[in-house]
Amino acid sequence: MPETVKYTEEELVTLLKQRQQSAFSYLYDNYSGALYNVILAIVPDRDLASDVLQEVFVKIWRQCESYDSAKGRLFTWMMNVARNASIDMLRSKNYQKNQQNRELTETVYQNAGSSVTNIDRIGLRKIVHSLKEDYKVLLELSYFEGFTQDEISKMLNIPLGTVKTRLRSALLQLRELVKN
Amino acid sequence: MDTKAYIESGVIESYVLGLATAEEAVELQQLCQQHADIKQAVEEFELLIEKQAFENAVAPPSDIRNKLMTTLSDEFAKEKDDDKTGAPVISMMEDRTSGAGNIKTKRIAFWKYMAAASVILLVASAALNFYLYNNYQSANTKYQALLTDRNSLQANNDVFRTKLNDFEEAMRIIQNPDMQVVKLDATGNKKGNLATVYWNTKTKDVYIIPSKLAPAPADRQYQLWAIVDGKPVDAGLISDCNGVCKMTNIPRAQKFAITLEQKGGSPTPHLDQLYVISQDI
Repeated sequence: MPETVKYTEEELVTLLKQRQQSAFSYLYDNYSGALYNVILAIVPDRDLASDVLQEVFVKIWRQCESYDSAKGRLFTWMMNVARNASIDMLRSKNYQKNQQNRELTETVYQNAGSSVTNIDRIGLRKIVHSLKEDYKVLLELSYFEGFTQDEISKMLNIPLGTVKTRLRSALLQLRELVKN
Repeated sequence: MDTKAYIESGVIESYVLGLATAEEAVELQQLCQQHADIKQAVEEFELLIEKQAFENAVAPPSDIRNKLMTTLSDEFAKEKDDDKTGAPVISMMEDRTSGAGNIKTKRIAFWKYMAAASVILLVASAALNFYLYNNYQSANTKYQALLTDRNSLQANNDVFRTKLNDFEEAMRIIQNPDMQVVKLDATGNKKGNLATVYWNTKTKDVYIIPSKLAPAPADRQYQLWAIVDGKPVDAGLISDCNGVCKMTNIPRAQKFAITLEQKGGSPTPHLDQLYVISQDI
């Protein structure tokens, strides 16, 4: 069934707030791929990432009232919902246990035929990994693993001010890389 | 304000990627309203990230779409019905700044409370009904008993009223100055029997008070006779009357007598059954 209707972001948000199924279908059909990309960059396991994606769409649907267009674009909001859900998944006990098992298996089978996507090949993370080491670490810890600047400062034993300025420099470089 | 320096500080990028602190975010939102170039810079980076994500989009497993449609099937607005059901739910959500609320759960919780309240009300109402019905039953029984009592009292009252009327009538008859009193005394073996005939000298009406006659057997009846020129004339049967019985009008007589006859009376008296008789008048 080809999607012929084309909504503006504003129309789509209005219809979502009216709880229209057609709006949700449209949202899924148009945004699920991009959001799956965002999730996979943080949760490389495709099965777990699929669970997160499902959870993210339920959250978007149920919390769309809290979306405020004055604070940013719809995709930016959804991307942040996806990132938060992904980081929650990383921190869940299930995931931690899973990873330990995986590490053992991977040592034996050398990562052959795993459903785990190579981190370096996914979206934003691929770009981040092309940054210099200092920047890469900061963006890894903050964006992909969800640590606060304060936590990073303690983890890396770097003053908070340095973390902040360095992170911002890293983001500016990232911007330039994404642009090109 | 040096908006260019702000734009180049990296804070916009950290905001869009969700890495800014709450204070930084609030400040940026305010600045966006005041400075069009800052707002534009934010949008540019948003579109940049968005474009990057779309260009690298990965198609998710095909079953997720169906799973979501099933999960959310109860939450989609019904056709043309969304204004009615949607509006109050949205207003409940407005208080939620965190957006952590869950419409479905809230709706269900609301109906759960309503259902629980209804059940409680129903039970309370049933209990009250039962209590009131019992009260009604006992009151009704008492009312019926009172009604019966009242009816029997009324009946007694009627009996007494009738008796009183009879006695008043008797008194009136006896007290009439035209009334001649004729005493009927017991004959030989009928001692103890006594009757009094009241004979109106003007109208010739005859009354009798049979109070001292022995009770008649069920198949027999006392009959009053007037003796006119030595011949008995039927003066009527003494029935079960109270006080004074009105008998047949007798224009002329020398004596009165009472015999016990077959029920319904006899044309001529059986003299062996003569109970009382008067002297010559």
